[in-house]
Amino acid sequence: MSELKLALRLLYRDGRSGELTILVLALIIAVTSSTAIALFADRLQQTMGRQAADFLAADMVISSSSSIPESWWKKASELQLKQSSTTEFSSVLMENESLLLAGIKAVTDHYPLRGHLKTATSDLSNPEQTKKGPATLEAWIEPRILSALKLQIGDTLRVGEQPLKITRLITYEPDKGGDLYSLQPRVMINHADLESTHVIQPGSHIHYTAQFVGNERNLVEFKRWIKPKLNPSQRILDIYDERPRLGSALSRAERYLGLSSIIVVLIAGIAIAMATRRYGERHFNATALLRCLGCKQSKIIRLYALQFLILGGSASLLGCLLGWFAQEGLFQLLRDLLPTSIASASPFSLLFGFATGMVILVGFAMPPLLQLKRVSPLRLLRHDLDPLPSSGWLIYGLALSVIGLLVWYYTDDLRMTFTVIGGGLFAASIMAGIVWLLIKSSSKSFGRLDIGWRFGLQSLSRHPAKTISQILAFTVTLVAMILSFSVRNDLLDDWKAQLPESAPNHFAINIFANDRTPFQKLLEGQQIQSSRFFPVTRGRLVEINGIKVRKIVSKESTGARATQRQLSLTSSTTPPDGNQIIEGNWWKSDNEAVVSIEQKLAQSLKVSIGDKLTFTIGSEQMQVAISNIRSVNWDTMKPNFYFIFPPSALDAFPQTYLTSFYLPPGKKDFLNKLIEHFPAVTLLDVETLLNQFKMILSQLTAAINYLLYFALAAGFTVLFAAVYSTLDDRIHNSALMRTLGAKRSLIKKVQLIEFTVLGFISGLLALAISELILSLLYNQLFGMAHQLNLLLWFLTPLAGGLFVGLAGYVGIRHVMDLPPASILRNL
Amino acid sequence: MHSSPDKQSNAPIIEAINLGKKVSTSEGTLEILSSVDLIINPADTLAIMGTSGSGKSTLLSLLAALDEPTTGSVSLFGQPLAQLDEDGRAELRNQSIGFVFQSFQLLPGLTALENVMLPLELCGDKNAADAAQALLERVGLSNRTHHTPRQLSGGEQQRVALARAFVTEPGILFADEPTGNLDSKTGEQIVELLFELNREKQTTLVLVTHDEPLAALCQRTIRLEAGTVVCQS
Ligand SMILES: Nc1ncnc2c1ncn2[C@@H]1O[C@H](COP(=O)(O)OP(=O)(O)OP(=O)(O)O)[C@@H](O)[C@H]1O
Ligand SMILES: [Mg+2]
Repeated sequence: MSELKLALRLLYRDGRSGELTILVLALIIAVTSSTAIALFADRLQQTMGRQAADFLAADMVISSSSSIPESWWKKASELQLKQSSTTEFSSVLMENESLLLAGIKAVTDHYPLRGHLKTATSDLSNPEQTKKGPATLEAWIEPRILSALKLQIGDTLRVGEQPLKITRLITYEPDKGGDLYSLQPRVMINHADLESTHVIQPGSHIHYTAQFVGNERNLVEFKRWIKPKLNPSQRILDIYDERPRLGSALSRAERYLGLSSIIVVLIAGIAIAMATRRYGERHFNATALLRCLGCKQSKIIRLYALQFLILGGSASLLGCLLGWFAQEGLFQLLRDLLPTSIASASPFSLLFGFATGMVILVGFAMPPLLQLKRVSPLRLLRHDLDPLPSSGWLIYGLALSVIGLLVWYYTDDLRMTFTVIGGGLFAASIMAGIVWLLIKSSSKSFGRLDIGWRFGLQSLSRHPAKTISQILAFTVTLVAMILSFSVRNDLLDDWKAQLPESAPNHFAINIFANDRTPFQKLLEGQQIQSSRFFPVTRGRLVEINGIKVRKIVSKESTGARATQRQLSLTSSTTPPDGNQIIEGNWWKSDNEAVVSIEQKLAQSLKVSIGDKLTFTIGSEQMQVAISNIRSVNWDTMKPNFYFIFPPSALDAFPQTYLTSFYLPPGKKDFLNKLIEHFPAVTLLDVETLLNQFKMILSQLTAAINYLLYFALAAGFTVLFAAVYSTLDDRIHNSALMRTLGAKRSLIKKVQLIEFTVLGFISGLLALAISELILSLLYNQLFGMAHQLNLLLWFLTPLAGGLFVGLAGYVGIRHVMDLPPASILRNL
Repeated sequence: MHSSPDKQSNAPIIEAINLGKKVSTSEGTLEILSSVDLIINPADTLAIMGTSGSGKSTLLSLLAALDEPTTGSVSLFGQPLAQLDEDGRAELRNQSIGFVFQSFQLLPGLTALENVMLPLELCGDKNAADAAQALLERVGLSNRTHHTPRQLSGGEQQRVALARAFVTEPGILFADEPTGNLDSKTGEQIVELLFELNREKQTTLVLVTHDEPLAALCQRTIRLEAGTVVCQS
């Protein structure tokens, strides 16, 4: 207890004398930023997850071609899951002597469980949001049905045998995906009216969904319970399976959040390491004194550890509080961009910020503290007795393990953790070596330089260890900032590239061979751009090297899903845009018995070049060898294919064509014209999907931008703090030099040169290291190719030099106006 | 070579009139020096004495252009310091003033030789190394030139400081308790060296000390008490 009191008293004195300012500041910055980012990430993830759930109109959906068994509903009720269902089928509507194939969707009362329907009665541009579908005996329809069937709001529409009153026009349906039913104009009716339509006959093709919301644990349990009971036509969808495109954007964003957190923690850790180092140096004498006064080593450690715990605890607490405010402010700033309902932060995230603070403190402050233990009381007599670096491996091992733990926690990815740590270690040692060589080789040539340069460079080369550790610190900080910056840029560019302004928003499938040219003409007549027309033959993969596929593929894999149904097979003389051959060769002649397979599917099916695949097409079988493996950019809204054949291979089979095109807003009526001219052609409207996707990406973009600013701000602040923590010696030295008659301009020049060179070297190294890390990171984490950024090459060393130089200059400047006497007196 | 042209004339080399210094602290303004008048002629040796806290170092730093007075004025070599800005004063210090401190104040990263060269380098002297080497030999450290201050004892460090102070051949040398951190024997050696060099170079010497015998070596002594001169001889 008395030790606690003593620790508190020592702490108070240190605090009063300003000894702790930098340390506390660094810690508060660290905790503030990691709390803010953790909270922000948590809430953003929840919010985004919720929004993705909107696209399913639920948290989880079972999609089935047979009706959902009663026992499933019961189980869901037991687990307190809220439920709704939809039943979708095609039906021909006939009114006013016009015919139209429509997609009927019968929904229960709670539909949609997530998200909103948007409907209007007249003004389509200003729809109302509702959380409910049509009442009984009402029909809500898509606007284009009115013109196609010459109807008006209030008229009666017969669905099967049931007359319904048209009450509203649907402009937005949350779960209208890119599946087969969404291409037909929608008629939404109440589930209660379904039976009386008498449309549903045994054998009708019907698509059922059961939708659920509830708490996560129960959903997971439900999913586990239901999975073994699924038949091949039934699927469970949650946000990640259902929207692979959105899923990948989301998970990339999540990873970016994680990366930002690591980066901030790393930056903060460095600041703390530098600050404690300074703290340690300043306490060598005090420690020696304590030892002289009879304090045992272990007691000294306990005393300092206690001080640090108290200090860390209170700084972390304050940081948590500030972090909470920062994060709240961020959401306020982003208010217009984010969905109206934002998930609230979990208190766990707050706790996490606090824990991070303590972990960083222990990890980074321990090494210098342990050094204090080794201070000899003799130091009071001889100042050259600096404590020996106590087994460096142990100490830096400790700091490294702490970083490793944090990285692991944030990424949940062991390989990534090792990549980061290993890369970091490797880079650090290379770096230290390079700097050492630089210093050694250049120090001889200083003699010829003018005095400012000579002094600046000499002071760097006199203490190689110090210089290296400072460069290391600046480099890591810069690397962190570069990473955050370029990952964000490339992420955003990538998203933008995926969704150009005129990304195709409609697909047309089932275009018969003789309709192809007229169809194309009609599009061109309206100046509508279309992608190329792909021939499509429906077929099924049945055998791999003579063995039945069913026996090979594992359940629930890409391979399984691809082989349980008919696939669209296409042929082409050249690889389509966005496809890259990653193994093997594209065929030279058009009549080889070969096929090109998509990379992910090839992986899932465990096939490679030369393997023989057997397809059934119609009643025939065809065996071909794999000649190449392609990577496909699934994120583009262009048609993509698992299998591509040489043209002659499919010529013998019936073919239809497929294309995608961009229909500008306001040209929707053209769809009716298309359907009229080509009744057999199926049109798929992915506009809604596309818009949802764009909206989410723009929100993510904004969020990521703010995170970047946050990380950069933290980086700059910490860089300043780091510079400040190295100023002590310099301030004293420059006061002495001024006493001996050096002009202020010379001192400033020396400082500027010293820091600029430090910053420039750090910038160069940071550049090399970040390019290395980026190329690793992109491959493993984001699945994107990394390209060298020339601007970065130019800017980084410059920015490093400029910024560190400026920080040092500003740092030293404020003592420059004090008379040298006052500085010398403080010793 | 950098000594002042006025060195041989009989005009006062240091002239302080009504010198005062106040500092503001958390407990209000503190007057640490008030109405000090002082005239020092070329080649004079002056000892400033007084109890600890009486303002000796403060007076020294004002006379040596290390700090600015709150009231009054100081002229060095007939040049009023108030007319100079900090850089002007720095130049003056570099050319015409030498310093010796109680705590040596050598730059820790520099070798003995480099420390001595420093003032010459600051004014762009090309022969800094030779001049510094010569002076180090003069103070008896020719074999320690490449050692850093940490590798030197206190007495050795103070000898390096003496070499540094005399290397520019300054008109005035200020010494703040030059023997305060040394044992009496080493202290005596330093004092001896100091006065020898002083005679050789014809330097004006202003010395702060608690040591009566040391003060007795000077031609004049003033005594401070609570920031005012109580006795002059
Ligand atoms: N910047 C300052 N702020 C506050 N007090 C100061 C400052 N400078 C000097 N003092 C005070 O003024 C008084 C005189 O200080 P000074 O250093 O000149 O004394 P001194 O005679 O040299 O003492 P010593 O013999 O111990 O060196 C002291 O009480 C000191 O605490
Ligand atoms: Mg004093």
